Amino acid sequence: MAAFAELFYQDFIVDNRYKYLVRGLGNTLVVTFFAVIIGIIIGFLVAIIRSSYSKMDKPGVPVKILNFICQVYLTIIRGTPTVVQLLISFFIIYTSPNVSKTMVAVLTFGINSGAYVAEIIRSGIMSIDGGQMEAGRSLGLNYVQTMWYIIVPQAFKNVLPALANEFIVLLKETSICGYIGMNDLTKGGDIIRSATYDPYLPLLTVAVIYLIMVCGLSALVGRLERRLRSSDH
Amino acid sequence: MTTNKDVLIKVDDVHKVFANKLHALNGVSETISKGEVVVIVGPSGSGKSTFLRSLNLLEMPTSGHIYFEGIDITSKETDIDRHRQKMGMVFQHFNLFPHMTILENITLAPMKLLKKSKEEAEEQAMELLKQVGLEAKAESYPSQLSGGQKQRIAIVRSLAMNPEVMLFDEPTSALDPEMVGEVLELMKKLAHDGMTMVVVTHEMGFAKEVATRVLFMDAGEIKEQGKPEEFFGNPKDERLKEFLSKVL
Repeated sequence: MAAFAELFYQDFIVDNRYKYLVRGLGNTLVVTFFAVIIGIIIGFLVAIIRSSYSKMDKPGVPVKILNFICQVYLTIIRGTPTVVQLLISFFIIYTSPNVSKTMVAVLTFGINSGAYVAEIIRSGIMSIDGGQMEAGRSLGLNYVQTMWYIIVPQAFKNVLPALANEFIVLLKETSICGYIGMNDLTKGGDIIRSATYDPYLPLLTVAVIYLIMVCGLSALVGRLERRLRSSDH
Repeated sequence: MTTNKDVLIKVDDVHKVFANKLHALNGVSETISKGEVVVIVGPSGSGKSTFLRSLNLLEMPTSGHIYFEGIDITSKETDIDRHRQKMGMVFQHFNLFPHMTILENITLAPMKLLKKSKEEAEEQAMELLKQVGLEAKAESYPSQLSGGQKQRIAIVRSLAMNPEVMLFDEPTSALDPEMVGEVLELMKKLAHDGMTMVVVTHEMGFAKEVATRVLFMDAGEIKEQGKPEEFFGNPKDERLKEFLSKVL
């Protein structure tokens, strides 16, 4: 017990080392939060374009071009490892000193997540019965209104578990931020490890913090799902 | 050509060929006037649903023209959404919005399209719900309703837009037999109130009793039409005779 107290003291108290974890957690949350927002926006737009394209009899040239761009985006993002995307972002694309590492991470994870979110939302949209679109249109709602008020809310409800899962994956995936020298939660634990030569406490603490966040998120999503399901009796 | 102001819908030589080369409509021309209750019957695959769905362009004709209130709605320049507001449609499978309450189902379009306030739209919706005896269901979700109730709500949802014409696509085909009556009752009431209606149905009793005109479609064409007494009492087309002998 005394040994544990000594380890705890060395790992977290000396030199205020706990701050590596606190600051790291803050960075992890910031990157995840803004990446989720970017991911939802991109994913939503790409999903709408792709599902509209596949429902059209004769898509016009602008729609064809948009769909092609989306196709390329999905292929590249889903076809390459996230770490590689992060490194390319940092060392090749956003090389300006005015762009912070946090910004690079937010953009990279947001753009990365958008690809997965797009496919999730698209599958949700495609799963809605065609009669819903017809009913909306027959009332005089235009395509966008019908999508917004009728199709998307139902699609969103159907894919909520998959979407939540994607964001949990994203939260955990930000642990590669250390590759570009960013001090996220994982990197914070690792810095303590290398300073104190104690791998156990810092890394296990980091793991527990991730676990708590994921469990918290899952519980939140569960509640939201139950609320949305109040319309199915 | 559409100078007669009683003419509501004019269909001019409409063809519809689906992507799989199925020739669903084969040159259909027809005029529907205000106050008419036109019932369309025919064997399955005869094109009657396609015909009905082309009236509000849920099916875009491959060729030909459709005029609604004198305006060519098949023209590229026409804003079809504006005209659809005046053409209510009731579907075989109801197509209520499952994520919304009954009240929200009914008030959505009036609020978004007619720019009614929430209070105004809800007041009107409750009024309509009272008329069909379903005001107690206002806060329910569609999944809590029986098929017959769903279809009556679907009719109310269309009526909330104050349409000029109501299109019914086999409105009772998906219902349990004991629920068919309540839906037909409501449709009869609508007809008596002077609503212009185009109805695709297999309910010959409804056609006989309520229709002002009955059309028989087969192979993508209107083969015969007339007032119900004559249509059912003295059919001339061979295919119609055969059809009637099977369904009556």
